[in-house]
Amino acid sequence: MEIFQGLLYGFQVVLQPINLLYCFIGVFIGTLVGVLPGLGPAAAIALLLPSTFAASPVSAIIMLAGIYYGAMYGGSTTSILVNIPGEAASVVTCLDGHAMARQGRAGPALGISAFGSFIAGTLSVIVLTFLAPSLAKVALSFGPPEYFSLMVLGLTILTYFARESMVKALMMAAVGLLCGSVGVDSISGRYRFTFGIQTLMDGLGLVPVIMGLFGISEVLLNLERGNEKQEIFATPAKGLFPTREDWRLSTMPILRGSVLGFFLGVLPGAGAIIASFVSYAVEKRASKYPERFGTGAIEGVAGPEAANNAAAGGAFIPLLTLGIPANAVMAILLGALMIHGLQPGPLLMKQAPDVFWGIITSMYIGNAMLLVLNLPLIPMWARLLRVPYAILFPFILLFCLIGSYSVTNNVGDGIVMWVFGVLGYLMKKFDYEGAPLVLAMVIGPMMEEALRQSLILSAGSFAVFLSRPISAGFILAAALLLVIPLITRRREVAKAWTSVPKEFAE
Amino acid sequence: MSRDLISGLFWLAIAIFFSIEGLTHLKLGTLHQPGPGFFPFWGGVVLGLLSLVLLLNSLKNRDRLSLSGLKSSKFLLATGAILAYLLLLETLGFVTITFLFLFLLLRLEYKGWVFSAVSALVGAVSCYALFQLWLKTQLPAGPFGF
Repeated sequence: MEIFQGLLYGFQVVLQPINLLYCFIGVFIGTLVGVLPGLGPAAAIALLLPSTFAASPVSAIIMLAGIYYGAMYGGSTTSILVNIPGEAASVVTCLDGHAMARQGRAGPALGISAFGSFIAGTLSVIVLTFLAPSLAKVALSFGPPEYFSLMVLGLTILTYFARESMVKALMMAAVGLLCGSVGVDSISGRYRFTFGIQTLMDGLGLVPVIMGLFGISEVLLNLERGNEKQEIFATPAKGLFPTREDWRLSTMPILRGSVLGFFLGVLPGAGAIIASFVSYAVEKRASKYPERFGTGAIEGVAGPEAANNAAAGGAFIPLLTLGIPANAVMAILLGALMIHGLQPGPLLMKQAPDVFWGIITSMYIGNAMLLVLNLPLIPMWARLLRVPYAILFPFILLFCLIGSYSVTNNVGDGIVMWVFGVLGYLMKKFDYEGAPLVLAMVIGPMMEEALRQSLILSAGSFAVFLSRPISAGFILAAALLLVIPLITRRREVAKAWTSVPKEFAE
Repeated sequence: MSRDLISGLFWLAIAIFFSIEGLTHLKLGTLHQPGPGFFPFWGGVVLGLLSLVLLLNSLKNRDRLSLSGLKSSKFLLATGAILAYLLLLETLGFVTITFLFLFLLLRLEYKGWVFSAVSALVGAVSCYALFQLWLKTQLPAGPFGF
């Protein structure tokens, strides 16, 4: 019953006009970000974080979360109409979605991805509603050793799902941990690796680092690639509503995609991209006519679009219950909660029930808004896609510059962004991924504190991580994930990645 | 030189730096009472070991993948423009530097003079209105007061 009280309370929070407005702005910007290729949700949320400082914590988080799941809706529009994914999790939608557009069935393709997204989004929020409170209760019994082991496991899962070699992903996680140690040491109060630079005294800022790695470097790569002219399909003439036959074919893929997406979304690093690919593979295998896939099969649009939306919902679980982010977007939301003076984790539900239930219920409302928003506005989004990249990119760079400056009104943060922008560009060239670095940087300080507290607790014995059963379980699972690739070479993961064009690896 | 070799050496150097700094400057402390250098030191050691694995692999596999397009002039211009923007922001003021920045980058992709100048001006002024006047971000003012 507690859950229903919570939900009721959440709706009271969200239905306040100001929060409805923030939710609307969030999903609207999210759709825009999803539609525009070359600007992902992580960079966009980092960009808009400073503009929420004046708002109440609930409103701020509702808006930022809206950008994330809104982007999942928007991405499909670009995939279907232009054959370029507006956003990484919609790569697979290009295959059958664009094929449908070429046959003059862009309408039903757009329609089914909007409905599929809505159904999956709503289902995953329902599961989130029931799962999060009980998980948070379990997590309350965790001490520093459990937390440390859990974070080790989290980082290992993240690197296990890496596109490139696992060694490189582990290296990036280590670099992230080192980056996280810049600034004041929370236990001894000493400055570390600041080189007397004012900006570094508070540690490397999450916003500039993310905007550098995911925003600036992306623009630099796109500039180099040059932009070939693309054919943009005109606004669909025929109706957006899928036919009865379309629905018959799509119902099971949407349901399977929702379940798959949700569980992959919970795992660190797996997230929406992998979920959409796995769903496509599953549907192809389940279909009686697999040869139709790639030539405009509606199941190939419905399943993956459902999966990426469900994954967006699942990703909130570790953040809300454990305070551990599952992907780069969740890392910024974690940062946003902390900026607003809240500590994400099992206590969030007790300490800030308005935020906890507000976020969850806002997703019900947001998904409904997106369904209403997305379908009628498709002609507008399609027109927006005609703006050439040559005009778009100076403004993307400018917004990153303003964003990085306005966090602390300090040019130093801009320089940090610049450094990580160049680093991110080189990392792409040398086949390294940015996500493990960002996540490790965020959880680095938590992990260090948990490690040092555990050692103080156990009087210097590492056995504490193995003598406590829950902690031992996490460590064992992590060890398995590190050993398995030595034997079998992560074939399934490699297979899931092979069809993703490299530029969309984030 | 393969890409893994170059990048492996780079990260190895970073790893050695963090480990030495953690060991000598920050102090490891004891296992009972780990000090500020404890975590960076072991983080550096892990990164170093992983870099060595990567280096050994790259020597064994000898992949000679070339680096494509690293010499791009657009890359240098864009990164240079971003850096210049940051360094000049507080001297020239937001509107002036933003105009110059947008103008240069629009010209970079071969848009006409007039088009670039007008869009840069409109862009700079509307960003000023949006961020300074509406969202109340404190943007730095130049000698002309904006």
